[in-house]
Amino acid sequence: MESFVDFTNRSQGRDQLFRATQYTCMLLSYLLEHKADKEKLVMKLKQLESSMSSGRKMFRLGNTVHALVAARRTTQLPDVVPRFCLTTSNLTRALYFVCDAVLWLRSVGLQPDINKQKWRNWATKCYYFSLLMNLGRDWYEISWRLEQAVRKKNTKENSSWDKEDQELNCLKCDSLPSFLPLLFQILKRHPPLLLDTVKNLCDLSSPLDALGIYKTNAGVIGFCGLISSLVGILTLASPHLKLKQ
Amino acid sequence: METWVRFSAQSQAKERVFRAAQYACALAGDALRRNGAGSGVLDRLRQLEAHLSLGRKLLRLGSSAEALEAAKRAIHLSDMVLRFCITLGHLNRAMYFACDNVLWAGKAGLVPSVDQEKWSHRSFRYYLFALVVNLSRDAYEIRILMEREVGGKRAKGVENGRLLQADNGLQQLGLRLQVQLRLLAHVLRNNPPLLLDVVKNTCDLFIPLDKLGLYKTSPGFVGLCGLTSSILSILTILHPWLKLKP
Repeated sequence: MESFVDFTNRSQGRDQLFRATQYTCMLLSYLLEHKADKEKLVMKLKQLESSMSSGRKMFRLGNTVHALVAARRTTQLPDVVPRFCLTTSNLTRALYFVCDAVLWLRSVGLQPDINKQKWRNWATKCYYFSLLMNLGRDWYEISWRLEQAVRKKNTKENSSWDKEDQELNCLKCDSLPSFLPLLFQILKRHPPLLLDTVKNLCDLSSPLDALGIYKTNAGVIGFCGLISSLVGILTLASPHLKLKQ
Repeated sequence: METWVRFSAQSQAKERVFRAAQYACALAGDALRRNGAGSGVLDRLRQLEAHLSLGRKLLRLGSSAEALEAAKRAIHLSDMVLRFCITLGHLNRAMYFACDNVLWAGKAGLVPSVDQEKWSHRSFRYYLFALVVNLSRDAYEIRILMEREVGGKRAKGVENGRLLQADNGLQQLGLRLQVQLRLLAHVLRNNPPLLLDVVKNTCDLFIPLDKLGLYKTSPGFVGLCGLTSSILSILTILHPWLKLKP
């Protein structure tokens, strides 16, 4: 119980638990929607989902400052690509939180004449852009590790094989079949990178659907959201699994 | 900005800010109603207050476990009175949070058959018990400190000669009371955490007293008390030395 208390004492921990619950409800209500005698349960799941969602919107008030502080921190990174990607990602996240706060004001009734659709559209675009920047950074991390691994493999084979076989093997190195196993090897050796990539890819499903770029259904969004929340909980519970910035 | 990030990383801190906002809405609503504001503004304030309250209830969903953990830790205290008061206070808080979770389940529509009135009364009763126990603990701490002060003064050989000079019984009583009050003020001034805790618990006391109908005040007064205690609570989070230990 002590570890549960320690975990939920952090604001992020509680938020990830609520997020996981919200997406589980979304997934379950999609799966049970057309079943015969489950209408009451589906309605309760939808109500739980909406109360989690509106509660989380309230807790997110003030996260703009978090994102700006994180952006300031990432401007100090040594490599150019992560510095650019993460700073842009944090700045667009700050914008997303601003739009989110405006939407909260409207949902609470303080400013009823706000154009909900427009602000929601802006919020989704900002979130989508920040996810793309995060994925860009993930891809940079993967690609330089891939390059390093290929170079290591080449030097190992150069030292042990004859010259004729060398060219053959160099061709083999660049073909696709050996690229995928190498990729899996790299991801297996760096769990934080794997978890971060999986989380960002899963988070992508919701804005892709909302912006109409790649329409899926509530079940897919719910499932992806649940996976990303579980990854978030995992990285909070074991901080060594979090990708260092 | 860094302070805000560190502050809001604790979920209790954000909850206190929302509590302050909720009671500020109650206070503002009452003040505006007295000054004849339109029903539109009052409705909006009431809606905001309800949203904040429901949001806080959601945020408190795991707090029973926290209170039970704190009670478990308090059992190992050395002082018997403190051990009793603090453990009992935490246990009552745990019950209060449990009732609060039931209220949330009812308001969120998960268990529509919850009797809001009954469970609300129950939760406020536990809250009242917890506050009374906390105030008893404060009184015990004050008494110990006052005794220590008096003992210290006697050791230094300082006597209050005026008491011997008073011939009227009532005058003697008045002087004794004056001495005690001065001693109390001295003790509280030298112990900011204790003073803060006493003021916070006293302010909080008016909320369940009003809600349970034991001592009815006005919604504005309840709002002011709630706002004061929330601000003091935020102060103890920002400056942990101001928190009464244990």
